[in-house]
Amino acid sequence: MAAALCWTGTKVTIPLLAAAAIDQGIVDDDTQALLLYVGLMLVVGAIQAVVSGLRRYGAFRLAFHVETDLRLRLFAHLQRLHFAFHDQAQTGQLMARANTDIQMVREWLMLAPLTAASLMILVSITVVMLVQSVTLALLALAALPLLSVAATRFSRRMGPISFQLQQELAELSGVVEETVSGVRVVKGFGAEQLQVQRLRAEADAVQDRALAASKLRSGFLPLVDFLPAIALVMILWYGGHLVIDGEMQIGQLVAFNSYILMLIWPLRMSGMMVAMSSRMSASAGRVHEVLVTDPIVADPPKGRSLPEGGGEVRFEGVTFGYHDGVSVLDELDLHVRPGEAVALVGPTASGKSTVARLLPRFYDVDAGRVLIDGADVRTLKLEELRSAVGIVFEDTFLFSDSVRANIAFADPDATMEQVRRAARLSGAADFIDDLPDGYETVIGEHGFSLSGGQRQRIAIARAVLADPRVLILDDATSAVDPSKEHEIRAALREVMAGRTTIIIAHRPATIALADRVILVDGGKVVAEGTHDELVATSDRYRDVLAHSGERAAKARRP
Amino acid sequence: MGGRAAAVRNATEETLDRDQAKQVLRRLGHMLRPHRKAIALAVMVLAVQTGCLLAGPLLVRRGIDQGIKASDGAVLNQTALLYVAVALLALVLGRVSIMMVARVGESFLRQLRVRVFRHLTTLGLDFFEREKTGRLVSRMTSDVDAMQELVQMGITGLVQNVLLFTGALIAILLLSWELALCILVLVPPLVLGTRWFRRRANVAYLEVRERIGHNLATLQEGLAGVRVVQAYGQEAAFSDRFEETNEALHDANRVTSRITVRYFVFVEYLGVVGVAVIIGMGGWFTDQGIITVGTVAAFVLYLNNLFEPVQQLGQLYNTVQSAGAALGKLFGLLDTVPSIDEPAEAVALPDQGAIRIDHVSFGYGADLVLRDVSMEIGVGERLALVGPTGAGKSTLAKLVARFYDPREGTVSFGGIDLRDASLDALRRRIVVVPQEGYLFHGTIRDNVRVGRPGASDGDVEDALQELGILERFKALPDGLDTEVRERGSRLSAGERQLVSLARAALADPAVLILDEATSNLDPGTERAVELALEQLTEDRTVIVVAHRLSTAARADRVAVVDAGRLVELGTHDELVSREGRYAKLFASWSASSVRL
Repeated sequence: MAAALCWTGTKVTIPLLAAAAIDQGIVDDDTQALLLYVGLMLVVGAIQAVVSGLRRYGAFRLAFHVETDLRLRLFAHLQRLHFAFHDQAQTGQLMARANTDIQMVREWLMLAPLTAASLMILVSITVVMLVQSVTLALLALAALPLLSVAATRFSRRMGPISFQLQQELAELSGVVEETVSGVRVVKGFGAEQLQVQRLRAEADAVQDRALAASKLRSGFLPLVDFLPAIALVMILWYGGHLVIDGEMQIGQLVAFNSYILMLIWPLRMSGMMVAMSSRMSASAGRVHEVLVTDPIVADPPKGRSLPEGGGEVRFEGVTFGYHDGVSVLDELDLHVRPGEAVALVGPTASGKSTVARLLPRFYDVDAGRVLIDGADVRTLKLEELRSAVGIVFEDTFLFSDSVRANIAFADPDATMEQVRRAARLSGAADFIDDLPDGYETVIGEHGFSLSGGQRQRIAIARAVLADPRVLILDDATSAVDPSKEHEIRAALREVMAGRTTIIIAHRPATIALADRVILVDGGKVVAEGTHDELVATSDRYRDVLAHSGERAAKARRP
Repeated sequence: MGGRAAAVRNATEETLDRDQAKQVLRRLGHMLRPHRKAIALAVMVLAVQTGCLLAGPLLVRRGIDQGIKASDGAVLNQTALLYVAVALLALVLGRVSIMMVARVGESFLRQLRVRVFRHLTTLGLDFFEREKTGRLVSRMTSDVDAMQELVQMGITGLVQNVLLFTGALIAILLLSWELALCILVLVPPLVLGTRWFRRRANVAYLEVRERIGHNLATLQEGLAGVRVVQAYGQEAAFSDRFEETNEALHDANRVTSRITVRYFVFVEYLGVVGVAVIIGMGGWFTDQGIITVGTVAAFVLYLNNLFEPVQQLGQLYNTVQSAGAALGKLFGLLDTVPSIDEPAEAVALPDQGAIRIDHVSFGYGADLVLRDVSMEIGVGERLALVGPTGAGKSTLAKLVARFYDPREGTVSFGGIDLRDASLDALRRRIVVVPQEGYLFHGTIRDNVRVGRPGASDGDVEDALQELGILERFKALPDGLDTEVRERGSRLSAGERQLVSLARAALADPAVLILDEATSNLDPGTERAVELALEQLTEDRTVIVVAHRLSTAARADRVAVVDAGRLVELGTHDELVSREGRYAKLFASWSASSVRL
């Protein structure tokens, strides 16, 4: 604040010194006065420059600091938000909040103190001018507020148009992107002309919006030169007459000119700030909205530790739905004994994957209880629960990091021995050894690309390394080449030995890994038993499996 | 340190050397030729407008010296009126010139976009396999956008600032060369300072952009992988990882703000020094009777016209440079020659015909992927290509569709070499259905129509009906007009495959090339896809790249490809009893599928 006052003071003083230099030095022919005032100008100017630099730097620092801090908070919060939140939210949208919205807040924070200081300049200059000549000040300043108004209007209208332009540009790049990704289809059907037509339509839309933006600009930018020119004319004309009449001095006239030039930027800025503030508050609102969303699945206030046990799993009358009114599980009862391997089998949307997601408490049940070694999962410390349950999803997500770091995800301090063992037990060791840098090969989106089956095996290794009490494999070998699957099956038997395991699978060979099969349909358990028992007794079971077996059967009668 | 060095390297890669720049300029000039009248007019308007802006200080001088100092009210009034007129003229011309430049610039950009894209679509598949999708898309987006920025902000500013600076320079030299020299001493430091700023800021902003990229990547990964992060209780660890990239970005930002602030302080102070010099030296010269007070006032006003353009041109330099580099890259793309082109006298293809592959060798690079492959596929025959990954079976299929031309030997349809046939006729006769159903933005109807652009709605429905899947898609909320990429109506992998098959049915080709999907489809649609495939392949010559041996078993003949050679050819039964490569493959595959 003090700095801002100091800055304003020096800034307003310089034209006054210039006026004195002209009037007393030049017009009155006093060389000493001239030198004095010019010297003072240089000194005051230096002070002003330094203060202004410090002030700017301070504002930038604060703004960048807030930006960084806010983004970290948002990220950490998103990491803790429940699955249901992430199911609904689009990644792109959340990215935009963490990126453009927070940037908007930062830009506003950078400009706000500058604008505040500019307003102080505006007020002081107006006062200084009024003191010297009320009429001249009013005449000179009359047109200038229009600059602020025009800037506000310009920024307000420009906002939506640039947004539309960005939108059209995005659509245009969408056409390019899908033409390139789908080039085999485009070439295969000779649809090149069709795509060119689509691009042309998008290019027309872009041109249209870009011209609209130029039109707005052509209305505003020339005004930035015009309005101050009018003020300068007023000073020259009315002030000139004052000088002729002996009521004013030429130096003052020049000082008035300088003031007008000094006002151009503050007025433009203030206008833009008005428009920017509304956009900023919308952005801040979007960020705030995420930050105030409380995680639904959170540590209970007095979380219990997981009791000792062999990994007994029990579902008691569990009802659950992802959306209100649509139940996926309907009073489901299920019991898995410690160390037992159970296969959940059922048609698509039968609820078998949902069972897997309720155990580590990715979602909370609507009714009933989920128990692990006798404790309701909702009463347990979340961290302990999740480290006790290892789940491998069908669509594996690997991080852009080394193979080693991906496998050691649950325990970054794991030794190389542990990592190798986990890789061996998931049937991944062989192909990892063949990778260019072995375990140090960087994989993921920006690294070496692996096949679906290889990715799944690394995901299994990740779960194996975590050494969970209960292991859930949700269609975790679906992409593995059938000819290689038997190798993994042998390794998996070792992992599963003495460990409670829940396998969700379509392939009979994978189902065969389990001690017991549970057939789930319509959110309920409809049959239980060994594979052979169910084949013998359950029509539904045969139906569900029939499809997977069909090809094999067909192939076997050549 | 390493990061900075990399940024410098990047910065130099983004610029053109003198020869390249000359070439780019020449070609740009050539492309702009149709617009040359409009451009000349726009430059003229800009010049007049700049003249109006420069007249202001001269009028102030006249007002002071001949009006105020001479106590002549009439001259003062007259000068003020003249000033208003000049300012109004500048206002109007300013509007006109912005619009003129925008019209020329935007229509040029539109033309460039369409031209580059059209060229892109004529390029062969080899090009698309060589280039990364992201890079091609960025040619059409960030590269053209770099030019868009130049057109929108740059060109007017560039011309105007050059004119303004030269104009102001001439004006002050004419008014008083003595005082002008005193002021011009300040210009070299300003230019040097601006250059320093531009260089430092370039490097710093590159660094910032790079770190923004890293930070976004971590962010994106944290969001996409949030389920895994939570499943393993790694929320805190992952937030720490984000904090690292986030802090790195913060540091880079602070570097840029330090550079920016220093430059602004320098420029601001230089401005004050300028005014002080004008008044100090101007006062002394006035004393000597060399100049008048009005001249001093005019100099103060001109100072802005000297300083601002230097700063602005410093900023524009980057815009111009990146636009030049972008244009260079675009020209590079336009210069890429299509590998597959139509012969001057293209021959039509018969409706039906056998496919003959005659001593064909082919390679994408130096190594051969196919060696001396020969076979004939009869009309209506169903042939399965079998072999390990990378053996060349997909490549063989692509040669039959003329996605590539063989290096040696010929591929012919009905006795006509594919290279002699018109591309249009070829695409009508031979259609490839890729492994995964690729959908374009638009409705289901639009997507099927890709098979035969210009087909009527009725034709599209007939194609779906033929495959027995019309009702299935009609049952969707918006029927065939359902947007396939919109949220909520996303199609499953199986349904996408169905749309892809309907495309082929609409195209109604004589030969169908199928690349079998490697992964399982959802059970709900797998059956429908099988039925549709049966319908589609009926009465057509079919070449299927088989990944499952069950598919091979159902084909009329099986061709086993290994290491680029055709090693076995015959019916499934023949090959099994021959106990060769195929028999071995089949045995190991049968063993891995399981009892029911």
